[in-house]
Amino acid sequence: MFKRLIVLLMMTVLSGCGYNTLQSSDEDIKATWAEVLNQYQRRADLVPNLVNVVKGYAAHEKDVLTEVTEARAKVGALQATPELVNDEQALQKFIAAQGQMTSAISRLLAVAENYPQLKADGLFRDLQAQLEGTENRITVARNRYIAAVKEYNITVRSFPSNLTAMMFGYQTKPSFTVENEQAIAQPPKVDFGAAAPVNSH
Amino acid sequence: MLSSIFFRTRYGLGFFLLLCCMQAWAVVGVPELSRRVTDLTSTLSAEQVVALEDKLAAFEAQKGSQIAVLIVPSTQPKDIAEFGIEVADLSQIGRKGVDDGVIMIVAKDDRKLRLEVGYGLEGVIPDAVAKRVIEETITPYFKVGDYAGGIDAGVIRLMKLIEGEVLPPPPENQGDPQDEAAFMMTLFGGLIAGFVLSLIVGRLIGSMLAGLGSGMVAVLFFGLTLWLALFIGIMVFAIVGLLVGGRDWSGGGYGGSRSGSSWSGDSGFGGSSGGSSWSGGGGDFGGGGASGSW
Repeated sequence: MFKRLIVLLMMTVLSGCGYNTLQSSDEDIKATWAEVLNQYQRRADLVPNLVNVVKGYAAHEKDVLTEVTEARAKVGALQATPELVNDEQALQKFIAAQGQMTSAISRLLAVAENYPQLKADGLFRDLQAQLEGTENRITVARNRYIAAVKEYNITVRSFPSNLTAMMFGYQTKPSFTVENEQAIAQPPKVDFGAAAPVNSH
Repeated sequence: MLSSIFFRTRYGLGFFLLLCCMQAWAVVGVPELSRRVTDLTSTLSAEQVVALEDKLAAFEAQKGSQIAVLIVPSTQPKDIAEFGIEVADLSQIGRKGVDDGVIMIVAKDDRKLRLEVGYGLEGVIPDAVAKRVIEETITPYFKVGDYAGGIDAGVIRLMKLIEGEVLPPPPENQGDPQDEAAFMMTLFGGLIAGFVLSLIVGRLIGSMLAGLGSGMVAVLFFGLTLWLALFIGIMVFAIVGLLVGGRDWSGGGYGGSRSGSSWSGDSGFGGSSGGSSWSGGGGDFGGGGASGSW
């Protein structure tokens, strides 16, 4: 009789104290993180094509081209595993590398603006559209990941589910932080000074 | 004592703030799409809206994919891409699991537009193709101020693209999930009413009334097909008639005068499966598509 009561109690306590929520939100984090990685990978796959097309028209823009290639190599060297989410330092490194890649790509695209022939190239336009789309997907995937981590962290921190989390060793997970957000979301610098002579005539 | 009160109020405040945050976190300022064409700028004439809606409805009936058009004055302060995914997440255009929805968003005063493409159509409308639809098909019209023409041309091209994708066929009867719910609801409602009625007026009359009533409700209120209604009616009649114990066939103590009348009052609502009320079918979006300006 007592045993049964205790089992019943455990069941209510576990489901009532956020154990199931912890499980499902943990899975949510995994799924959304996989999507983030997926989209970053997609971008990394597009970059070599972009570099090749730009080289065809603007081979002498060595600075931006090498910058993008290096950023691409750096991202490729990082191990983008699902376990990354549990390691705050590795995650920040990963985010920083991806941020560098974002700015390198946007600089390359800004440079491409100076080459009308390149801009008219069908392949380049397609790649540009794909890259834009991928950046947008990355944003969406990141936002979903942030939301998933937020829900999980709330469960881990708030009473009484924090006791359950403590018991089963669930800890809060790092997310994309505000500082990184700023670094990554920084729009490419547009120099209006250089464009001015066109209008002055 | 004092400190404990302080702590309690602080936690209370924290909890309150958390609640507020969660409220604010819900998407604000994004219209929910309850029609296929939502024009918040009165750019399109009523006839143009109807024509476009008919076209989209016909396409949905034939192919199953949902296409929605939204025209807003501006998406500020949001970027149109951010605005787009919020609209998509809220309205969930496209079928659930197939994710075959497309939303065309035109921000007229911003001179920007976006195609938001559901997961299931990213293969047939990849970003580059979406961009081409915008740049080659739609914006030439928009540049000369012909919004209706641009939207129409864009929609037609989208339809052609979606035609090329193998998708699960649309369900035979229109309005799939609603019908299922309506079916279950009338069936259960009829059964409950039948049990109650048979306790009051006896088994035979009660089950007959309930069967008739639920059939009528199915047709008049929920707009189900006659065959389904007949099926529901017979089911209710049979189950109530066979399963209810209690009174004899003859045992009805009350007159049957007050029972049947309550159902007929529902007929005023008419069929709800028409074109006017419409919603997304639960399709998912992941930010695919393209943006453009004119």
